[in-house]
Amino acid sequence: MEPTAEGVSVFLEKYCLQCHGEGKVKGKVDFTTVSASRPTDGDFDLWELASEVVDYEEMPPEEEKQPTVEERAAFLQWYRNVYEKVEAKPGVFQPRRLSAPEYRNTMRSVFGFDLENKVIAAEQTVTEPSLILKLMPTDPPGESGYINDTHAASLSTHLWDQYAYFSEAAVNQLFARVRRPQLEDLVGKELPGDFTPTSLTQTQAAALLENFANRAFRRPIPEEMLKEKLEKIAGLSGNRLLRAVKFEMRAVLMSPAFFYRGMMMPQSPGKQQSVDSYELAERLSYFFWEDMPDEELSRVASDGSLNEPEVFQAQVLRLLESPRARSLAESFAVQWLVLDEIDDVYADPTQLHAFKNQPIDFLNYLFTENRPVMEIIDSEVTFANYITASIYPKDRHQLAKYVKPKGIERASVPNQKIRLEKTEGRGGLLTMPAILAMNHGPIIRGTWTLRHILGEHLGEPPADIPPIESTAGDRSLSFREKFARHRSDAACARCHDKIDPLGFAFEAYNDKGGFLLGRDKKALPKLVSGKSSSGNQIDPSGKLPTGETFANFEELKQILMTSRREDIVRNIVEQVLSYALCRDLEAYDAPTVDSITETIVNSNGSWQDLFLEVVNSLPFRETVFPE
Amino acid sequence: MKRNWSIDRRTFLRGAAGAALPLPFLNLMEASGASDATNLAGDEGPPVRFLSLFKPNGVHPPSWNINGGTEHDFRMSPLMAPFSQHKDDLLILDNMGDYGFSSHANSTRRFLSGHHQNTNQASLDQILADHIGRETRHRSLELTTEGLFPGQIGCSYISYGPGGERLPRESDPQLIFDRLFRHPMAVPSKRREMSSLLDRVSDDAKSLQRKAGSEDRDTLEEYLSVVRDTEKRIERMEENASPPSINFEDLERPPLATNLDDQVNAMIDLIALALWTDSTRCATYMLGNSNSRMIFDFLGVKEQHHYLSHFFRNFSRENIDGLLKISLWHMEKFDYLLTRLKSFKDQEGTLLDHTVVLFGSGMGHSDNHTAQRVPTILAGKGGGMLKTGRYLRYAENQELGNLHLALMQGFGVPVDTFANSSKPIQGLDGSPFEMYQERPFESWIKLTSGKITVQGRLVMSENLDEAKTFYMEVEGKDPVRVEVSFRDFHNFNLAYHVGTPITLSGNRSDKNGQLLMTKVTELKSVFGKSDPRKAG
Repeated sequence: MEPTAEGVSVFLEKYCLQCHGEGKVKGKVDFTTVSASRPTDGDFDLWELASEVVDYEEMPPEEEKQPTVEERAAFLQWYRNVYEKVEAKPGVFQPRRLSAPEYRNTMRSVFGFDLENKVIAAEQTVTEPSLILKLMPTDPPGESGYINDTHAASLSTHLWDQYAYFSEAAVNQLFARVRRPQLEDLVGKELPGDFTPTSLTQTQAAALLENFANRAFRRPIPEEMLKEKLEKIAGLSGNRLLRAVKFEMRAVLMSPAFFYRGMMMPQSPGKQQSVDSYELAERLSYFFWEDMPDEELSRVASDGSLNEPEVFQAQVLRLLESPRARSLAESFAVQWLVLDEIDDVYADPTQLHAFKNQPIDFLNYLFTENRPVMEIIDSEVTFANYITASIYPKDRHQLAKYVKPKGIERASVPNQKIRLEKTEGRGGLLTMPAILAMNHGPIIRGTWTLRHILGEHLGEPPADIPPIESTAGDRSLSFREKFARHRSDAACARCHDKIDPLGFAFEAYNDKGGFLLGRDKKALPKLVSGKSSSGNQIDPSGKLPTGETFANFEELKQILMTSRREDIVRNIVEQVLSYALCRDLEAYDAPTVDSITETIVNSNGSWQDLFLEVVNSLPFRETVFPE
Repeated sequence: MKRNWSIDRRTFLRGAAGAALPLPFLNLMEASGASDATNLAGDEGPPVRFLSLFKPNGVHPPSWNINGGTEHDFRMSPLMAPFSQHKDDLLILDNMGDYGFSSHANSTRRFLSGHHQNTNQASLDQILADHIGRETRHRSLELTTEGLFPGQIGCSYISYGPGGERLPRESDPQLIFDRLFRHPMAVPSKRREMSSLLDRVSDDAKSLQRKAGSEDRDTLEEYLSVVRDTEKRIERMEENASPPSINFEDLERPPLATNLDDQVNAMIDLIALALWTDSTRCATYMLGNSNSRMIFDFLGVKEQHHYLSHFFRNFSRENIDGLLKISLWHMEKFDYLLTRLKSFKDQEGTLLDHTVVLFGSGMGHSDNHTAQRVPTILAGKGGGMLKTGRYLRYAENQELGNLHLALMQGFGVPVDTFANSSKPIQGLDGSPFEMYQERPFESWIKLTSGKITVQGRLVMSENLDEAKTFYMEVEGKDPVRVEVSFRDFHNFNLAYHVGTPITLSGNRSDKNGQLLMTKVTELKSVFGKSDPRKAG
């Protein structure tokens, strides 16, 4: 079989159409709707699915006639020729509802204060201080896996009620005495000392409405709309004026142009075009901050200078330097690496605070301090406080001495950056205690590393394969040997050849992320094999499917840093780009991913370089409007 | 102690000031159509409500306990001073709880669930809510002050659902107010407002739609369909709405709380308002988790409440002062609650007259977690259910379940048992009960070299400078001072035996001519149990 359209058509005829098109359409997969000779963007999802199940030998089903190895290879080659050599183009423009954290932050930026849920946040307790996050339903991740990909999460009457409630609460609070500075900020001038909400003048009300709408819409309110609003308040005063103003403000907040993104962008249907400067500003700020543009970014959007490369670059760096860029670690990285699973490991909030913030502080440092992308795998820096200090006995002296305040039983204190000068086996994200602890056992650790770090898409485990305990119940076999037996089955080996060596490399670390071996064994992480304090043999060695072997995790890390570098960078580029675009990547994004990956790999680029590449990329800067 | 914070709260009700408001007569029974079963004051009376206020971290017993006195003739203790003006509306219960010790989590569960092992049944408030709360818009309210304590999650909950599951708590007064009185769908003016808002935004959205491409049009179509659904919901509401008994729009939303004191006062105001408007008939409120880590900096106290509550181990005069300041603040909140309940007229009498308030904590001695003499006070007449103005010191320890059972029966819930209890506590309505009575006993001191054995009444020092010191009172002699380690204090459960006659043996080290015991080797109760090693 040749990797051609004809070859693929024959392949489909022979192996697929019986169940997926001719008469029967199993699993809603229908190959009669597509044509191998005319593959389109719209068909990408189907062909991608087909190539995955063919690659992982999930289809055709075992009891059916199977393609030869050559036939499978030719099919995959055709898929790659068609879809991985496409020309880059931007995604079709889609409005998108703000995610719950984006909405919370945007409301805060519009009003200048947070809507709070009052609760006393004593030490060792957990609270939700945001009224919005407390009441909003949790956003389901979109196809991209990120919650800012809200395309599939539709608006509901329940959400409507919440938006209505927040809008009213915030507008009312704006006129409370304690919010006078925020009100003055929105009116644009100081209010007299004897000001009360009912003494609002027409001039103040008009300024307030215009400034408020401009802020909330993230672009100037259309003149016509402003005129309508001003007509509604004209001639009113006192309580009636106040009520009308509040009503108009609430209408702004309930408008689709507020809680959807991109609703007011001017558009020419059918044409690929650069996004305008307001949209560009918004894309930047929601990417780096999960929030609307601040005053300065809005200013360069409004005078158009944001489109100048120097101004643009300066703004990106400014956004990255802001403390608000911590959102990249707290939101993007937490979702990418499923770090919320750490929440299940530590019951005490001070412990959780210390251990969960280690990876977050570390990633925030890589992201915002211009560190090389690959330092995520190996770094000489980590973050610790008095609770995690014991993990770094030889370097803990760098920590400022913690003096427990009198009368406070346990307190959450911020982490501090330390250098791993004498500590072994702890550099990089993978051996941070919380990462090891949230991933129990070699299989979960291996799968997590493969999926989230190396970016491999593993298929689902075959349903008819029993779990490992029952297949290898022989007590004379070690855990590792049981898996060796498991891998002797070809169906299992397809994934476990990749998973197991990675997972077993972490064998020297226990379920809490500490070292398994006793204190007396000094060369712990470098150890090829040895006995754990419980007497079990420790064997962190392994062999990758590529044939590369390693004696322990440190050696595996060197393999990741060198021969797997490109895989890791490519995965990171895909993750960052997908998060920045708030959508799943499509076939036509492949050239963008390829080019950024190449740049970062060749230059040992930093996270900052990577972010700059992403925000300068075609899909970030341009869009296409449907006809 | 000088009170340096204000309890003079402004009221929510416009034009209302002071106690017993001359409000228009409101027949809440008619408005809500309550069933007869809840009607204890006769066919015409208002409904009886239940309210529980929980105080974290036990008490400093010498400051709390009433020693001596009789049912009708007693002096309230120093910690009770803040609410002593309500003496006639109180039923102070003593000897509540059981022998032994209790963890914070167990004592929290026990507070309304009768026994700490009663983990698969609803708590008292929820059983009452099932009985009295079905007619009201809100079946019950579960309120709190402090965040969740996941290290010992049971410390954060007193209210439990039908399977014993923890019920979510709310802490923000504005949010509660809005739920009770400002729900956009439940208030006519809110519905009208929402209708015009819907008109406006759909006009705006349609003008956007005309300019939009196809993708946006889909989004806008979805948006408009939600707008239309909301319009329909409002219309249905409008058709089904019954005229409100009280114009909620006259109620003022509580201001944004800026500190703990404001937050708690606002919540108490709201609870009173919710009960009075018959929005709910059942509420529980925790002034903090039972092991509260809160810091009362507005009282000038920098240490955590829980740390200070272990006043024996963390003893200093300053710490005791801090602890008592916090406890007095709790008592002031109880006082404020009663004052608010009295300020609402409810047909014949006040709201308090038609409410049963259960105030208390989970444990007796806050350092060693004694499960005996657990602070427990009932307030309000409960529409005749309670005969107040009395002090009931029971002859026998009373499990909390006995009290809960009696209250359920008082509310007309047909039950014979609850948790471990099948004996409802006696005397709440003025019926006979067995009062604790002093029995005569001999007291004496026996001295040998370095050792001392003394029989007498064990008391805690009332002098705050020596808050970890005990005395053995012996008739006709100077008391023997007892200064022991925490280990002895705890192992022999001295706190449990306080106020009762015991025989105490130990090492002697006299000071300035006064007999002093420094180590306990044996403790025997003259009349009761001696072995403290019983789980509570």
